[in-house]
Amino acid sequence: MITGAEAMVKCLEAEGITRIFGYPGVAIAPFYEGLYNSNIEHILVRQEQAAGHAASGVARVSRKPAVCVTTSGPGATNLITALATAYADSIPVVAITGQVSSDLLGKDVFQEADMTGATESFTKYRYLVKDVNDIPRIFKEAFYIANTGRKGPVLIDVPIDIQQAKLKKEFKYPDKVEIRGYRPSTKGNKQQLSKVIQAIRRARKPIICTGGGVILGNGEDHIRRFCEKFNIPCVSTMMGIGVLPKAHPLYFGMLGNNGKPYANRAIALSDLMIIVGARIADRTVPTPDKLESQVKIIHIDIDTAEIGKNLGPTIPLVGDVKNIFDELIKADIQPKADSWIEELNEIKHSTIDSRVFSDKLVNPNTLVQLLSEKMDDDAIYVADVGQNQLWSADNYVMKKGRFLTTGGMGTMGYSIPCGMGVKMYAPDKQVVCVIGDGAFQMSMNELATIKDHDVPLKILIIKNRYLGLVREYQDKTYDGHYSGVELFDYPHCDKIAEAYDMPYFHASHTDELNETLDQFLACKEACLMVCDVDWTDNSK
Amino acid sequence: MKGIFTVLVENKSGVLSQISGLFARRGFNIDSLAVGETERHDISSMTIVSTGDERTIDQIEKHLNKKIDVIKVRRLDEAQTISLEMMLMKVSYNPNNRASLIELCTITGAKIMHVSPKHIIIELHNTPDFIENFIELVRTYGIVEIQRTGTISLEKN
Repeated sequence: MITGAEAMVKCLEAEGITRIFGYPGVAIAPFYEGLYNSNIEHILVRQEQAAGHAASGVARVSRKPAVCVTTSGPGATNLITALATAYADSIPVVAITGQVSSDLLGKDVFQEADMTGATESFTKYRYLVKDVNDIPRIFKEAFYIANTGRKGPVLIDVPIDIQQAKLKKEFKYPDKVEIRGYRPSTKGNKQQLSKVIQAIRRARKPIICTGGGVILGNGEDHIRRFCEKFNIPCVSTMMGIGVLPKAHPLYFGMLGNNGKPYANRAIALSDLMIIVGARIADRTVPTPDKLESQVKIIHIDIDTAEIGKNLGPTIPLVGDVKNIFDELIKADIQPKADSWIEELNEIKHSTIDSRVFSDKLVNPNTLVQLLSEKMDDDAIYVADVGQNQLWSADNYVMKKGRFLTTGGMGTMGYSIPCGMGVKMYAPDKQVVCVIGDGAFQMSMNELATIKDHDVPLKILIIKNRYLGLVREYQDKTYDGHYSGVELFDYPHCDKIAEAYDMPYFHASHTDELNETLDQFLACKEACLMVCDVDWTDNSK
Repeated sequence: MKGIFTVLVENKSGVLSQISGLFARRGFNIDSLAVGETERHDISSMTIVSTGDERTIDQIEKHLNKKIDVIKVRRLDEAQTISLEMMLMKVSYNPNNRASLIELCTITGAKIMHVSPKHIIIELHNTPDFIENFIELVRTYGIVEIQRTGTISLEKN
């Protein structure tokens, strides 16, 4: 009979996993021995958190669960931030962690950390494997839980003795799962559905607000068809960017306090707001109580608990976005009058951007616009966290590609490992990471991984020598008392690029962008570009 | 308002901490919590009593339902429910008030489980309100210690 470790590898193979990201240690060594004889490619990252973010990138683009693996103790705790990030954005990541021997559990031995306890609030579900014979069932369940209902990360913690033990029976990967406490509902309730249709029928100024859940539920096409059929305008949250292309006549931008003023205005003027797959967090709607009293709200989500958490909807509807919009598209609803769209267009075109940017260096808005316009139609843009993220979300020209970022947790250093995973999964697509000089220094260790595996990822650093978003906050809230936010001059990115044998591009003024971006995008290998941005430039 | 939930959960380690952790993390109150095995060894039943506004109680129900180790959540209507709690209470007494204390126990149906020269231990099972009332009545005698089980509830129909 095979060992637990070999069974773990077989489970991954049965799930169609061909590449995993990880960092080994003694407690997970039997599993790595199993990998040695497998066709699954292992990508050795330089810090465990990157393994989680890389898996997150793969999961988002492949729309299937992706896997990361670490050893016990510090290896596993390093992964927690990545799990929390995936959890906040509902990304199906399956994390495998080694654990000390079962008989030593709870004795605080070397590299023991209570991972199932520690990740209780950062994962959708967790397993501590106590019997080697449970491995096939647990893996099947883990992948199922991660990728159904509201998606999210699942942790499987496997003590080393369980990995070494032999299965009693011939290995068989289960065909189906039976979890009596888990039956995610995907079909919308008929009665609620007809209430929703009624409300849309009656509305004169409806608007749809798409969140990350639309993309997780593969519902982009459904939403587009719905909007077009009934002439209903659409705004999005940051995680919902990309459901409609920027140039779509019915798309009115990202809402929220970092979004477009006209998107927020559109919500305020509407008489019916249809929220799909969004939690309506504080950055999107700072005063949900006020909105509730003004607008009729339909809230559609796969997660029952999401409905009414931050916003009390008039009509809640639980279900899968595709199933629900299949029904809604079929419904007998008259297309809405053009006057509503015209009203929104008037507001959009009369909005004046009063922000002032330094003309001495690179204008970050122009940078993102120009970059995303020049990028391939189906390119994948990965925005990090900070001012770079807000400039990106604000100016990104969405065509047919993807805009990836961490909207929920806002984890600095997400973009490089995420982009690395994405580029490995989709080598034919152009993948560009846009990152600030703060987050770059949190994740630049992964340049080695990128080079080791010859991943032609493009990394663009918006360099302003500050933790810009915090500085901006201190500017507005603490009277310009800049405390602990200056990054000074280091590192010299050209030398970093040289150290990793990466072509280096540099723009110190907006005028240089056109040519330098062309060279950067034409480069066939992993490359680094730095754009100097004035430290006083704000995101809003 | 009060929310009474009976929650059937997988009888395995870590589930109680998941449930209590959920209440702690989301800022929900637990007024009372009682846990025990059901007629099936692999399923435990929890009775959780909480207070909050309608939206909070609604959220508690949804978040409990979301837990994968939670098999079934029932929200009970207080009027349609038999709720019971058990209490053990150690009370100090002296020769002057002993008789009235015993009389109080007789009237309320509380049982005297143990008598020592300075204390008696009283057992009472009744509705949570009844027990609260009893505690107030006995307070003047000098309560040394109280142990309560938490409420358990069953729907009448």
